[in-house]
Amino acid sequence: MKKIIISTIAISALLFTASCEDDFDTDVQDIPVTAGEANFSKYISLGNSLTSGYRDNALYIDGQNESYPSMIAQQMKLAGGGEFKQPLMADNLGGIPSAGIPNKKILAVVAGSLAPVDAPGTGTTTLANIYSTGPYQNMGVPGAKVAHLLAPGYGNPAGLPATANPYFVRFASSSSTSVVADALAQNPTFLSLWIGNNDVLGYATSGGDGSNPITPVDGTIGVGFNSTYTALVNTLFPSGTTRKGIVANIPNVTSIPFFTRVPYNPIPPERFNTAPAGSPSNQDANIDALNTQVFGPLKQILTGLGQGSRIQLLSKTQGNLVLLKDETLTNLSAQITGALITAGVPVQQAGLMGQLYGQARHSTAQDLIPLTTSSVLGTTPSSPLAIAPFDKYGTTYPLEDKHVLRGKFNNVNGEVEEVLTATAAFNATIKSVADSKNLAFVDMNAKMIDLNSKSGIAWNGVKYTATFVTGGTFSLDGVHLTGRGYAIVANEFIKAINAKYKSTLPQVDPNKYSGVKFP
Amino acid sequence: MKKILVSTALLAGVLSYAGGFRVSLQGVKQLAMAHTSAHAEDASVAFFNPAGMSFIPSKLSIVAGAFAASNKVTFQNLNTLQSTQTDNPMGTPLYAAITYKPIEKLSVGFSFTTPFGSTIEWPNDWEGKEMVQKLELKSFYFQPMVSYKFNDWLAFGASYIYAKGKVDWDKAITQFGGQLNIKDEKASGHGFGFGFYFRPDPKLDVSIAYRSAIDMKAKNGTATFKFPSASIYPLLGLDAAKGTDNFTATLPLVEEYTIGLTYKITPKWLVSADFNYHGWERYNQLTLDFATAPIGNQADPTISVSPKNFRNSKTFRLGTQYAFTNMIYGRLGAYYDESPYTDDHFIPETPSFNTFVVTGGVGFKLKQFGVDVAGGYAMPQSRDVNNANLGFYGQAKATAFYLGLGLSYNPF
Repeated sequence: MKKIIISTIAISALLFTASCEDDFDTDVQDIPVTAGEANFSKYISLGNSLTSGYRDNALYIDGQNESYPSMIAQQMKLAGGGEFKQPLMADNLGGIPSAGIPNKKILAVVAGSLAPVDAPGTGTTTLANIYSTGPYQNMGVPGAKVAHLLAPGYGNPAGLPATANPYFVRFASSSSTSVVADALAQNPTFLSLWIGNNDVLGYATSGGDGSNPITPVDGTIGVGFNSTYTALVNTLFPSGTTRKGIVANIPNVTSIPFFTRVPYNPIPPERFNTAPAGSPSNQDANIDALNTQVFGPLKQILTGLGQGSRIQLLSKTQGNLVLLKDETLTNLSAQITGALITAGVPVQQAGLMGQLYGQARHSTAQDLIPLTTSSVLGTTPSSPLAIAPFDKYGTTYPLEDKHVLRGKFNNVNGEVEEVLTATAAFNATIKSVADSKNLAFVDMNAKMIDLNSKSGIAWNGVKYTATFVTGGTFSLDGVHLTGRGYAIVANEFIKAINAKYKSTLPQVDPNKYSGVKFP
Repeated sequence: MKKILVSTALLAGVLSYAGGFRVSLQGVKQLAMAHTSAHAEDASVAFFNPAGMSFIPSKLSIVAGAFAASNKVTFQNLNTLQSTQTDNPMGTPLYAAITYKPIEKLSVGFSFTTPFGSTIEWPNDWEGKEMVQKLELKSFYFQPMVSYKFNDWLAFGASYIYAKGKVDWDKAITQFGGQLNIKDEKASGHGFGFGFYFRPDPKLDVSIAYRSAIDMKAKNGTATFKFPSASIYPLLGLDAAKGTDNFTATLPLVEEYTIGLTYKITPKWLVSADFNYHGWERYNQLTLDFATAPIGNQADPTISVSPKNFRNSKTFRLGTQYAFTNMIYGRLGAYYDESPYTDDHFIPETPSFNTFVVTGGVGFKLKQFGVDVAGGYAMPQSRDVNNANLGFYGQAKATAFYLGLGLSYNPF
């Protein structure tokens, strides 16, 4: 019996030792949320559309309620954060008819497959000023560039559309104020700043056609990126201030679905089938005809001029390249027309082909085709030159500059490289300014690269990627994020804030926010 | 010479998710002594080692038993400060066995057990719903067996195993606001077991046994997709009218090596020790091969491979029994069971912990009849969760207990 008692005691001892380890060191219920060295009582977010909660090509209430600053503010409330008011739109359509701003995009079944279309209905948001129910803490203004935040009169309705912004017109305190002035008037204790995307994005989304140039790196305040960004941060964080803050850099636009959704060879051979439904396909015959009558002779002529790489013959089995006009190429119109006439092509047709194809080339894997271009591919351009068979946009009629962000061709850098170079320069400035002001810094560019990788970003078993629609993070415009995408952004901000200021803000759960809505 | 024996075991049970989804509850008397194996008193030895049949004192032995197994798992996310508890239904592992000696040297027997299984039920809308909302795994082993006694101290036995199983798995498809159910109630597989049982000295029993892995093949499973919007089905390449697809998959029920010994310190008092080695390495990934749904992650888009990366694990057991009278027995035990995966591979559908278990029980013998009661209390060690592949981070802990009631009948 004695031995039994001894062994019982031994087992009890073992039990006791074991039980010391079976509970959590700290239960999450007992973890305090603290502000650390920061003060979150008045948080204001500054930025552009990404900060405002813009998604699906519009700003609308449900999107604003899932903006990343509102998520951060929600967590800050657990550590002394105050109210966070957003200048909500009037509805969930997002259109501002009086400013010509269209409704958001929604997914709809078009010809049997899903496609983004404009939401039907008339937006009820107006340009009427709502400052009396403010001030607002989310001061993200869609479309704003760095210089715009400092610009007086950016909310002056009389300045529309050239020097003012319809979204800021709605919530500016006066017609003469600037975004920064309205922000500072609220005496923020904490600021977030994610700006600069539009200084390069507008150029990229307009295909680099020059209508919306890249902000130059150098130049005076209001002109050059570096001086303007530095002035902006100096204004927000004057020397001696106790105000804390965080800034984010700019993701490379080449990673967003707006440029990655449409491949460089987006035209399937079936697109050349013109036979009525039910009849045998004439795809191969049509491709053969175009190759013998148009692209074959053209390639032969260009090869003779040492420019054979401009044109490829159409393929019957693989996706075909788009035909585009590259204004940096030497114009060979006269040579092409001349050679065609010599070859016996009627003078009128030879002249037309010369005009069309003097600077034309096929796309390469270096070119980026904007999402918006997919809707014009294969349509008939409104041009007197668009005469059959030279009337198919992107196939026989070259796409203009605005429809393609050109990449490197024949070892000559294109618009893509311009954009990347500018982004890298801007990001270097952002980082060095953040460091000099001792601010928290978020590398959103790195995060976007993770998201764009094949494995994406996993959160509790859900895999997020930058794939259009099915990747879960990008909204229907291919540029802005979904609620889940913004939650991933919010977590990056929260992690950087906690790391810098020793606060303990909890992250948000991206899976709990909304993604793309399916019809 | 007929002995009357009634044993009732009462006391602690054990959380037996001893690693993965192996449930060590195949004998009430054994459980009371930490589920040790070298106990050839009756037919309950059959599952542990077919060769043990040769040392059962009676010519015919019949046993049956049932357990109630309860456990609760808690996961907490240190990033979002969310905490979630499972609401698992009570598990009811069962066993029954019969052994018979047509001649002195030869024993035949049949064992029915449920050695693998798990039902885990997280709240439907919990943060890990993409991985699992509910997973029910069941297995049934049917084992005919035979044992040959070479001499007074050595027997060899072998068994054939036919296994039937069931899987029923609900998980969310967050990106599309939907749900996937994976179900097969007719999975099956084959295996075998064999062992040596030694009694070199009347005081000492030694049991060495091997039970093979069984690949449970779900050949005709059904995957049912539920989405709120009809447009999602064609987007994923699914037939919207049906919303279902077939799949095949293989789930390994892994092999186990056991060495156990029992020593009678006095005629009334014995101690037992066991060592088990579980071949969990076999469960390195789970492959679901859908018939048509292109929702996989491989070159063939209908094949989905999830890494599991289990590793082989060990269990150490120590138990004892004291006969207060020749009718009443008291038993105690303790064991330590290793989790078959590291923190990097923690998965919420089969949560697993390094676990200490204390067990105990009481047995009563009355003529040919025995009644045993056993219980176990498990103390799984809390652990970190760092599964980068799933983006699943936090901490997990669990509690569990077992109760068992066993009957034995040894008529002659």
